[in-house]
Amino acid sequence: MKLKAFLWDHISSLTASVLAAVFAFEFLCALCNEVYAGAYLAAIILLAEAVALTLEYLKKRGFYRSVTQSLDKLDKKYLLAEVLKEPSFEEGKLLYEALRESEKSMNDEIAKYRQKSQEYREYIETWVHEIKTPISASRLILENNPGEISSGLEEEIDKIGDFVEQALFYSRSESVEKDYLIRETTLHKLVASALKKHASLLIGAKAAVHADGLDRTVFTDIKWTDFILGQLLANSVKYRNGPLRIRFFGEELKNGCALTVSDNGIGIPEQDLPRVFDKGFTGENGRRGAKSTGLGLYLCKKLCNKMGLGLSICSKPGAGTAITIIFPKSNMTASLTKL
Amino acid sequence: MAVIFLVEDDQKIRTELTKLLKKYGYECDSSDDFANIVEIILKRKPQLVLLDLNLPVCDGFCICRELRRRSHIPIIVVTSRDSETDELVSMDLGADDFITKPYNTQILLAHITAVLKRTNPQKVPGTVNYRGLEVDFAKSSANGPEGSTELTKNELKILGLFFSARGRIVTRDEIMNTLWQSDEFVDDNTLTVNINRLRRKLESIGVRDYLVTKRGQGYRI
Repeated sequence: MKLKAFLWDHISSLTASVLAAVFAFEFLCALCNEVYAGAYLAAIILLAEAVALTLEYLKKRGFYRSVTQSLDKLDKKYLLAEVLKEPSFEEGKLLYEALRESEKSMNDEIAKYRQKSQEYREYIETWVHEIKTPISASRLILENNPGEISSGLEEEIDKIGDFVEQALFYSRSESVEKDYLIRETTLHKLVASALKKHASLLIGAKAAVHADGLDRTVFTDIKWTDFILGQLLANSVKYRNGPLRIRFFGEELKNGCALTVSDNGIGIPEQDLPRVFDKGFTGENGRRGAKSTGLGLYLCKKLCNKMGLGLSICSKPGAGTAITIIFPKSNMTASLTKL
Repeated sequence: MAVIFLVEDDQKIRTELTKLLKKYGYECDSSDDFANIVEIILKRKPQLVLLDLNLPVCDGFCICRELRRRSHIPIIVVTSRDSETDELVSMDLGADDFITKPYNTQILLAHITAVLKRTNPQKVPGTVNYRGLEVDFAKSSANGPEGSTELTKNELKILGLFFSARGRIVTRDEIMNTLWQSDEFVDDNTLTVNINRLRRKLESIGVRDYLVTKRGQGYRI
């Protein structure tokens, strides 16, 4: 609170005191021709006003300064009333009460939306769960009736399956709860499981797969990592450039372990690279042909962030793309190796 | 021949799965009486149980616990709820394996063979005879009219697939998928090399023109 603004706010009381002082001075001068008595009384009036204003200023400054400072520091501004001390003056009390009220109503509102989003998420989970039964049944029917139509439909069913899985992980990535489970596994197990799961897609794309240095232990949620690797493989297939070559490369880092998935695809233009993890970003390649939702890499990044994994990309148009997942060495790993 | 008991409430999946598993040489059994399913399974004595988790009456976990308490029948849990906790709980309750829907049928078959091999080695066919070629899967060797030869892991897998296909045309993609499911991530060229080497080996033991190429479709024995 600026002093000038404060004084401006109290302009009426200031004017009144000045007028009172002038009037008292004039009055005493006229009455008994005593300049000193008049000046004395006027000075007292002005002094009293000054003291009163200063005290008020100090009191209010303390409170409002704590308001602005807390507001700056707070991440969730609506929780302001929570960190304030109740002030001793009436105006402040009114404001304090109003803040408390609005905080409470905000909290109620948040609780309502959290509840709604939780319910929606549960619905999505159930829905995904339900839809998998008809998808499984369709797959089996097609498998039992091989033919041209069936193999065409099988590809489409695979796509439906992938979209359904993406929906599931999207809803999981949005949730505030921690619903993953970090377990010990090896890079080899993770890669093999993803390759097996996407075998039809990769074989259909005539992919040649190479792997190096995957004999390393990492700690991660296996299902989530499987999904992330699946998204990367799907991208490699989608943006391939001639015969597809995919290479998995694991290496030990100072504070963890890195898994790099690289391909010889069309690559990503330099100007698009910083934004590939943004939600809905499709870029040059997305516009050029292959259907892109701008969700795959966004979800990968988000899931990695939630699990505390690193994710980085480097790419050269015409040469290919390499994506690196970094699995940090957890405290658990450290204590295990010590044992 | 191994009998697989399907605990699955979706009629369609049951019939289609039965058809599919029959094609690969397994017998299937199932029941609609989910209230007494444990009793029924124990009475029918299958070699393997494929257990769905989401069931009427009582859920898969409770069936799994009950079955494990009373017998050592191998159990593969098949579910569409793909969370880590479900998998952990299933394994804790004594399930032998866990697969999530919608599964790739090759993955399902690979898991079934793996579990059966581990728990019921005698039920996995040791030697198979087909059109003058005898393959010993236990010793990984092939016998023909003019002698016998050693087979590699990949060659064994390929012949296994042809035997279960019984005269049906097998596509190259299908062969590769089967190899991928057993951790052999071969590419197109490697497969050609594998097939050619297998042909030469079979010829060397007097089995000629065994793998017939069907142009643009695949192979047949």
